[in-house]
Amino acid sequence: MSDVIYFDNAATSWPKPQVVTDRMSAFLASEAANPGRAGHRMAVGAEKMIDSIRKLLATFVGGTDHHRLIFTMNGTDALNIALKGLLRRGDHVITTALEHNSVSRPLVQMHDDGFIELTRIAFSPETGIIDPNDIKKALKPNTRLIAMTHGSNVLGTIQPITEVGKIAREAGVRFLVDAAQTLGTVPIDVNASHIDALAFPGHKSLLGPTGTGGLYVNSTLKLEDFEPFREGGTGGDSSSPTQPKLFPYFLEGGTPNTVGIAGLGAAIEFVIAHDPAKTLAQERAMVQKIIDLALSNPKFKLYGPPTAANRVGTVSFNIDGYTPQEAGSILDESFTIAVRPGLHCSPYAHRTLGTFPDGAIRISPGHFNTDEQLSTLLDALRQLTE
Amino acid sequence: MALSDIADQLDKADPTLARYNRQMLWAPIGIEGQKKLKASKVLMVGCGALGTVLANLLARAGVGQMTIVDRDFIEISNLQRQVLFDHDDIDQNLPKSIAAKNKIAKINPDVSVEAVVADVNHTNIEQLAAGKDLLLDGTDNFETRFLINDVSIKHNVPWIYGACISAMGLAMNILPNETPCLRCIFETMPPPGMNPTCDTAGVLGPTVSVVSSWQALEAMKLLTGNRKDLSPYLFSFDLWDNRFQQLNVKRARELADCPCCKHKKFEFLSGAFTSSTTSLCGRNAVQISSTGGHKVDFEQIAANLRNVGKPSFNKFMLKCPIVEGTGERRKEYELTLFADGRAILKGTNDASTAKALYSKYVGA
Repeated sequence: MSDVIYFDNAATSWPKPQVVTDRMSAFLASEAANPGRAGHRMAVGAEKMIDSIRKLLATFVGGTDHHRLIFTMNGTDALNIALKGLLRRGDHVITTALEHNSVSRPLVQMHDDGFIELTRIAFSPETGIIDPNDIKKALKPNTRLIAMTHGSNVLGTIQPITEVGKIAREAGVRFLVDAAQTLGTVPIDVNASHIDALAFPGHKSLLGPTGTGGLYVNSTLKLEDFEPFREGGTGGDSSSPTQPKLFPYFLEGGTPNTVGIAGLGAAIEFVIAHDPAKTLAQERAMVQKIIDLALSNPKFKLYGPPTAANRVGTVSFNIDGYTPQEAGSILDESFTIAVRPGLHCSPYAHRTLGTFPDGAIRISPGHFNTDEQLSTLLDALRQLTE
Repeated sequence: MALSDIADQLDKADPTLARYNRQMLWAPIGIEGQKKLKASKVLMVGCGALGTVLANLLARAGVGQMTIVDRDFIEISNLQRQVLFDHDDIDQNLPKSIAAKNKIAKINPDVSVEAVVADVNHTNIEQLAAGKDLLLDGTDNFETRFLINDVSIKHNVPWIYGACISAMGLAMNILPNETPCLRCIFETMPPPGMNPTCDTAGVLGPTVSVVSSWQALEAMKLLTGNRKDLSPYLFSFDLWDNRFQQLNVKRARELADCPCCKHKKFEFLSGAFTSSTTSLCGRNAVQISSTGGHKVDFEQIAANLRNVGKPSFNKFMLKCPIVEGTGERRKEYELTLFADGRAILKGTNDASTAKALYSKYVGA
C-alpha cells in the first residue's frame, strides 16, 4: 500500500506518525493492563497514562478540568453521548445543512420519533459558511441546543463558531460543536468560543489511531444535565449500584481503548511539536493549488469559495464527462491516488450544492503529503480533462 | 434383463422405480443403479441454460435430492434455451430456482428439490455443498467455478464442469485425488473481458443441450457407481464448425504445480480472490473490484459489447449502456469499466445483480 498517494485525510489521516505506531506497540507489549481496575502496578500505570493524555487533550481544547474529557470510540460516539444525553422531549434543536450524518442522523431520528423539534440552517454555496444571524433568527423559547460542525467535511470551510457560541450563550442555549475536520489544525478554545460540549475523533487531524475520540464537557454543563449513554464498569466506586456521579466515569462505562489512547497521546505530542498552524498553512497551500487548477479550466466545477483562506485541507469539485465515482476510480486505478468521491456522508450539503445524489470528488491533503505527490495529483487531474 | 423381469423385481423392491424402466434396461444402471440414483444428493450451482437442462435430465432420470441455487429471475430472453421455464413463470416474476422446483414437481414428484435464491459465494458454498454426492456446474463465470473447485477438493466431492458459448462447448469431470482439477487446467482467472460471453457473443440452445447432456450422463455414471466409465477427457466441441475434441488432460495433474489440489490452498474459498462489491454512497450503483490485477483490453471489450449497446471508451474507462427486459420489465443499466477490471454498475443497489451483470457482459 505504501505506493498509494493518499489524499483522503478528511476521512482519516494516513499515514500516522511513526511514534504513534511505536507507542501503541510498546504499550500493548508491556503495559496494557485495565486502568483503574486493580491496585497492581500495571493497572495504576495504565490509569496514569490515560490520565496524562486526558490532561493533554483537555488543555489542547482550552479546557480547565481534565476530568471532563470523556474518551470515546470516535467522533460519532462522542456526538451520540452528547445529543442523546442532553436532549429531552419537546426540546428544539438548531443544526445546519453542513452536518455530517453523525450529527444529522441522530437528530433526524429524534425528530421523526416526535421527540424533538429540528431546524436546519442553510449555508451559502458561494462562501460555504452559515450566517450566525440565521441561527439567531431560528431561536425559539424551547430551543435547547445548537449542534453544528466547525469545519465542513465537503467544502472544508471553517464555520464562525465563536459568533454562534456567543448567540447561544446569550440565549441560554447549549452549544455542541463537531470538531471532526478541525481539531489538530485549527485552534479551538472551548471557553473563548462558548462551547458547552466539543466532540472530536482522534484519527483525523489529531493523527491518532481509529477507535479513539473524545467529548469535552465544559464546566457550563452539570453532570445532572446528562443521561448516561453507556453504563457499565468504571473501575473505581464499584459499590455504587448505578453509574458513579462524577466525570469522566458517568459518561465512560466500559474498559477504555487504552492502546488507542496511548497512540493518541503520542499523536497529539507530534501534532503540537510540528505546530498545527504550520500544518494548516501547508494543507491550505496545497488546496489553493488544486483550486487554482480548477478555476483555470472550464471542465472543472469547484464548490465553495475560490480560495483556501477559510478552509481546512479539503476541497471538492467535479470534472466534466466523469461522475465523481468514475473520476475517483480512475485516480485510484490509473494513478494510485486515493480520494473520496460521493456524498461524504453529508447529503444536505450536497443538496445545497446541487450535487445530490452523485456528490463530488473530495481531495483532502494532510500532514504527510509532499509537493511531489501534489504535482502527480495535479497532473492526473489535467490528464482527465484532456 | 427383460422388462417383465424388471417389473417382477420392482414389485418386491420399490414400485416407484417403475417409471425408470427404460433407463434400468441399460445393464450398467439396472435396478441397483436406479436405487443409487434415488439415494443421491446433488448441488446444482446455477439454474440458467446449463442448469435447467441438467436439472431436467437428472430429475427425469430419478436423482433423489437436488439443491438448486440461483440468484436470478427469469427474463423473456432466457426461454430460447432455458428449458424448464415458460411465460407463466415470467408473468409470476419467479426466481429461477423456484420456477425450476415447481416444474420438476410436475415432471417427477419423487424428486425432492430444495430451491435457494442466492448468490453462491465463499461464505455459503460449503454449507450448500455439505452432504452432497456431486456438485454440478451450471454457472456462467470463472470465479464461481473456482469456488466449486475449491469446495470439491477440500471436501472430496466430485464436480462436473461445463461451459458453452455460441456453438462451442467444454466439459470435464473433476474427481478429487484422481483427475486434474480445474486449476490444474486453468490456473488463474482469465482477465476480465478477455473472453466473449453468451450475452455478448450469443449462445445457441442446442449447444447448451450438448454440454449439459454430457454433464448429465457423466453424473448418472458417477451416481450409479460406474466410475470406471467416466470420461477422463476435457471434452470440447464446435457444433457450427463441426469440430469435436477429447483432450487428454491426465498428465496435467502431475505437471501442474496446482495451488488447489497439490498445495491445498483454497484461495477462492478463503475469499482472497473474491471480487468485492461496494454499494456506492447515495447512488443507485455498485462498484465491483476485480481481484486479478489484470489490465483489460478496452478495444476487445468494446468489440464484444457491440451487440449489447453502444460502448465508448477513452484511455481511462469504457462505458456501455445495457438494457435488459422489455415493456414493464425493461431495466436500464450503465456499465463503466476501468483499466484494472473494476467496474461500476449503475441502475442497481444490489450486489448480486451487479455481479450477474458483470459476469454476463464483461465475463470472467
